[in-house]
Amino acid sequence: MKLYKMAWRNLWRRKRRTYITAFSIGFGVLFSVTFCGTGDYGYTKMINTSAEMGLGHVAIEPVGYNDTPSLDKRLLNTDDILSRMKEIPGVRHCVARITGQAMLASANKSIGGAFIAIDPAMESKEQNLFIRSIIEGSVFAGTDGLGAVVGSKVADKLNIGIGKKLVYTTTDVNGEIVSEIARVTGIFETGVSEADGSMLLLPIDRMRAVLSYGPGDATLVAVVIEDQRHAERMREKINNAVGSPSREVLTWKQTQAELAGIITLDKSGNYIIQVLVGLLIAAGILNTLLMSVMERTREFGVMMAVGMSPSTLFRLVIMESIWLGILGVLLGVIITAPWYAYMYYRGIDFSAMIGTDYSASGVLVDPLLKISLFKESAFAILAGVFTLTIFSGIYPAWKAGRIPPVESLKTL
Amino acid sequence: MSDQAIVRLEQATKLYRQGKIDIRAVEGLSFNVYKGGFVALCGPSGSGKTTVLNLIGGLDVPTKGKVFLEGEDINLLSRSRVSAIRRDRIGFIFQAYNLIAVMTAYENAEFVLRLQGVPEHECRERVTAVVAQVGLEGLENRRPDEMSGGQQQRVAIARAIVTQPAIILADEPTANVDSVTADSLLDLMERLNRESGMTFLFSTHDQRVMGRAHRVIGLRDGKLERDEVLS
Repeated sequence: MKLYKMAWRNLWRRKRRTYITAFSIGFGVLFSVTFCGTGDYGYTKMINTSAEMGLGHVAIEPVGYNDTPSLDKRLLNTDDILSRMKEIPGVRHCVARITGQAMLASANKSIGGAFIAIDPAMESKEQNLFIRSIIEGSVFAGTDGLGAVVGSKVADKLNIGIGKKLVYTTTDVNGEIVSEIARVTGIFETGVSEADGSMLLLPIDRMRAVLSYGPGDATLVAVVIEDQRHAERMREKINNAVGSPSREVLTWKQTQAELAGIITLDKSGNYIIQVLVGLLIAAGILNTLLMSVMERTREFGVMMAVGMSPSTLFRLVIMESIWLGILGVLLGVIITAPWYAYMYYRGIDFSAMIGTDYSASGVLVDPLLKISLFKESAFAILAGVFTLTIFSGIYPAWKAGRIPPVESLKTL
Repeated sequence: MSDQAIVRLEQATKLYRQGKIDIRAVEGLSFNVYKGGFVALCGPSGSGKTTVLNLIGGLDVPTKGKVFLEGEDINLLSRSRVSAIRRDRIGFIFQAYNLIAVMTAYENAEFVLRLQGVPEHECRERVTAVVAQVGLEGLENRRPDEMSGGQQQRVAIARAIVTQPAIILADEPTANVDSVTADSLLDLMERLNRESGMTFLFSTHDQRVMGRAHRVIGLRDGKLERDEVLS
């Protein structure tokens, strides 16, 4: 009889124990998938939302702009950068933008705010959260008009609506204070209080004129890539393509350091919990295999007496743990699949508990908890659980081969 | 029976430590077992029969003295070599059958051949022949818990002889079965010895069993009491 067949049969000597252990492995898979899946989904959603709020996954900026943003720092002739960016595989979309601080004033009130100057022809609902969140009116047409799209709370604070005027005041490229009038064409509401209460979108060419920028100048080129996980790799590629001493290419982790910190902290917590759960499962498997070995001491003695080598015995017990791992992982897949499908397509809505405007580091957090697992994560979970099972079998397997056959034969 | 010694014990002594006391299980034991022998190792409980079988089978090592199997000093061999000798040159039959519970009669009989790496088709031929030899045709697919004690012991005999070892060590092989079954098992072993020239060394304290042996080695308190050729 082949060793694997014998190991499989050994597993079924105590069916209930095998099922309990396999189910504990299976629930470990479920647990890991849930934790990893919410992370993969949630982090991606937050990172993509953050990217859509202005800076992209990768940003090309003038040197020093990220640390001390000011409008005297600018990229010259971004048209050239944009045309070269189109040739880089993995870049989904890139746009030039001007971002800065401004004082916003209406007839009877003024507030501090921030603007993003855009070319509406280059932007779309899919890649710009503010445009997607317009609740009234529409985005301005053209790039040199006087239109503006303001946040809902900005509109409330300034007591303005569609068609009303506001004045924004900022400093130009030379540090001179400059002002311009804009007329509200749209109002957005992202749900992020900070954004809705301070942001406005302006036409980019009008802003270039106000700031005394040249044609094509901008404070940044925001790059949205196919997969946020490849931001660092894409940063290198983009840097190789368009980098220069006056520009720096940064990933979202650098431009959104606070968000990156929150995600890292959250991930670390997740990992710790998963490691602890993994250890608990490993202890269960170890216990099962050890019991199974100890109660077969005499049989192992017989096997060694008739010529089985300790190494073959070791392999037999390891094979049993491999089977247990396979069984546990299969059960895990079976019990996780419906849960995953439900959480992937439907999810659990936590808006009643956290509201619809909960944000972290200025990024809207989706109250709908969903699961979406990256392929790599799925592989890592299955491989991790499987490896854990096999590792748990090493000590019992070693123990089995260490008992002298003459001692084993004395046991009942 | 040939004059070629399969087993040679030279002043073999085995001490066990029980708490703070040394127990002399076997003391200064010397004897040979020759090829084709049908030898009974007899004596009352605690006389050292099982210890002697364990020493010859390489399951235990003597505290003093030497044990040779086919001329090789077992004491000087590595663990893996002793393991290989047990697999290839020794057949074991235990009092409590000690079959592997998850295997059928056929698979138990085949077990050692598999350990030897014998190809499947050859295994099949040899196991089929041995199963017929021990009278287990039709029971090949039964598991140990589906067989009587006598049938299980026949499987154990099949497992022991299938590799055609130099010697078969049987520790009280008939102790757990009724007298009719014991007789049939002894008939079987005797026939294997007579027809195939297999060497048997079995321990017993049953006078009837001793009467079937060709030579009786008697032990008392771990020492040789008698060594008598009966036929």
